[in-house]
Amino acid sequence: MSEHILSVHDLDVNEGQIPREDWFESSDTLQHLRKNKRFPTIWCSGCGIGVVMGSLIRAIESLGLENNNVALVAGIGCTARMPVYMDYNTLHTTHGRALAFATGLKIARPDMKIIAIMGDGDAMAIGGNHFIHAARRNIGITALVVNNSIYGMTGGQQSPTTPLDMRATTAPYGNIEPPFPICDLASAAGATYVARSTVYHPLELDKYLAQAISNDGFSLVEAVSYCHTTYGRINKLGSAADMMRVLKENSISKSAYDKLSDEEREFNTKTVRGVLHTKKRPEYTKVYGTLVDRVHEEAIKPRNYGGH
Amino acid sequence: MTELVSAVNQAPAKPAKKGPRGEVKIFATWCKGCTICVEFCPTHVLAMHPNGNHPIVVDQEKCTACHFCDTHCPDLAIVVRKIE
Amino acid sequence: MTIKLMQGNEAIAMGSLAAGCRFYAGYPITPSTEVAEIMSRELPRVGGKFIQMEDEIASMAAIIGGSVGGLKSMTATSGPGFSLMQENIGYAAMAEIPCVVVNVQRLGPSTGQPTAASQGDVMQARWGTHGDHQIIVLSPISVAQSFELAVKAFNFSEKYRTPVILLTDEIIGHMREPIELPDFDTVEKVERVVTDSPADYKAFRNEPGDVPPMASFGLGYRYHITGLFHDEVGFPTQRLDEIDPWLERVNRKIENNTDDILLYQKDYQPGARTAILSYGATARTARHAMKQLRAKGQKVSLFTAQTLWPFPEKAVEELADSVERIIVPEMNMGQLALEVERMAGRKKVVRVNRANGEMVTPDMILEAAEN
Repeated sequence: MSEHILSVHDLDVNEGQIPREDWFESSDTLQHLRKNKRFPTIWCSGCGIGVVMGSLIRAIESLGLENNNVALVAGIGCTARMPVYMDYNTLHTTHGRALAFATGLKIARPDMKIIAIMGDGDAMAIGGNHFIHAARRNIGITALVVNNSIYGMTGGQQSPTTPLDMRATTAPYGNIEPPFPICDLASAAGATYVARSTVYHPLELDKYLAQAISNDGFSLVEAVSYCHTTYGRINKLGSAADMMRVLKENSISKSAYDKLSDEEREFNTKTVRGVLHTKKRPEYTKVYGTLVDRVHEEAIKPRNYGGH
Repeated sequence: MTELVSAVNQAPAKPAKKGPRGEVKIFATWCKGCTICVEFCPTHVLAMHPNGNHPIVVDQEKCTACHFCDTHCPDLAIVVRKIE
Repeated sequence: MTIKLMQGNEAIAMGSLAAGCRFYAGYPITPSTEVAEIMSRELPRVGGKFIQMEDEIASMAAIIGGSVGGLKSMTATSGPGFSLMQENIGYAAMAEIPCVVVNVQRLGPSTGQPTAASQGDVMQARWGTHGDHQIIVLSPISVAQSFELAVKAFNFSEKYRTPVILLTDEIIGHMREPIELPDFDTVEKVERVVTDSPADYKAFRNEPGDVPPMASFGLGYRYHITGLFHDEVGFPTQRLDEIDPWLERVNRKIENNTDDILLYQKDYQPGARTAILSYGATARTARHAMKQLRAKGQKVSLFTAQTLWPFPEKAVEELADSVERIIVPEMNMGQLALEVERMAGRKKVVRVNRANGEMVTPDMILEAAEN
């Protein structure tokens, strides 16, 4: 190791070689963070949620969206702590209800780009009912679900996406419940854009998030991640870097997947990455807009009883 | 706008003689020492500081600006700038 | 001004429209469904929006989202739905989001008697959601008052940045009475005004004043809203020096404004040793009983509360000082009576209760008054 490098870095680590405000300026992505928010983030060292945050910002940047016009709505859980760090309109709601809050916000402000940010438990367990109905309505919201197959914030309980036989603090003898395939569920419920990738492939997430946000109707992006602190420790899956590596080895692109034989496809256990479903369907608030116009066109005088 | 390097994506890049070069900056204050950048850097530009708290650039010339580290850093504590 | 024969639930819908409500999210439940049906018809006519959500939890979430987006928002429900809404009502109280929740009470608990009236949710309206919080609860005694209190509910919710519960019941909700409808344009509406620049806007600042202006999303005030305890700009905090000032302010903003918030009528007879305190549908019975008693020469004072919460402590304390006993008729087993007892000191509080879906009758009150 060349001497000059070590001497430069012998500084006390807390002081850091770069003043804090300069760090925010050192990349376009960092400029989307909230300068008045305390960093580093709340997540465990190595957690994939921070990677997804980077992807989301780059996706928003790539679309050239106005920060004033972007709203992030989150439920409760590790993933739901993401919005507070970013310089958009951010709403941190109650567990499982992000999409219901976001539905009201989208109806009030159909012009805004709204992204609901949830973990797998937040979206699929307590939030499942709102998830399928938001998809059914095809309301213009992007659901970004970071799926690490566990409830991380509360310490490692099984979630609706925990794989069979894997352990959790509430499945000490192995999970006996078959997990939800989130993307299939969204597609069946009516989502008009569904894509999946992993935190090992953030550039794919950038692309899919940009497409999802541009999609008029209800979009789902499933970002497969990991939780080495609870799920990884309980199931002895190693460090964050180890679990990151498994995401690479244990996933396959959709194009490669499509080339598999039927039999291979049936026994495939790898996570399929890609745009899995798209559909052309009118977006909910636009349809309601035409309804309001129609009511007006039929010249039904608004009944203001008092004003004759 | 950070240009998205699509060419070199997740496949490990060969140690570059010519081709794109990158300048790596690390913000130790935000780094939580998860070692992802160090373990995945295709050309071993980074190594953990002896105190183990954060990475340091040990071989800047080898950086090919593949952006693996700054797109995989969970804490946005590392930035790579392409050098023309 | 127009005189119209109108149902109580419809008067709530009209009052809400007059107050500027432009978003309704709800879920069907007897005996409140007429509010939803009318709003689904009327809102598109005034450029407003309506949605029927998948459940009451979603409905309460949606109206908070709509309010954050800048629309005056409301929902209407009854006991079972009101129970489901509690967590998000608490969120609206914590995040200080203006919104109106109508609860057309029906006989509970559980499924109970969907078409029977009750006043069994009075304590739930105050303490239904977990944790210490402030809330305003208004209760109409007539179709006309249903209109007026709907307007009040919206104005209070905006003025104090708080959820307001319009606690009516199946009787007032379903009965029809003539009502003098004002021209909606002449109705006073409280609007959100933000004068601070985005740079120094603090959505939850503790001074000046107890109610920071509310900036709707999308106008350039990119701030954070959370259900966690938060500092003045909305970031989560566990620091006591940030939590305590917030707690004090949020309590002050209601408790220091009771002259504005507390609505009640006093029909006192000097020298009366008996008073009747009532609210909602039972107030109609109490008025009838009072007339009968006075006709028989017995002096009786009548206190009718429109604001149930915060409870009109001072007024009830003064009333208790001036009489021997206070009769509290309720269509429950005694809920607001607990508050009256708390304020009545040594004076006697006579509960007249009925919780089987039938109205308290004048005779029940006369019997209590005459022995």
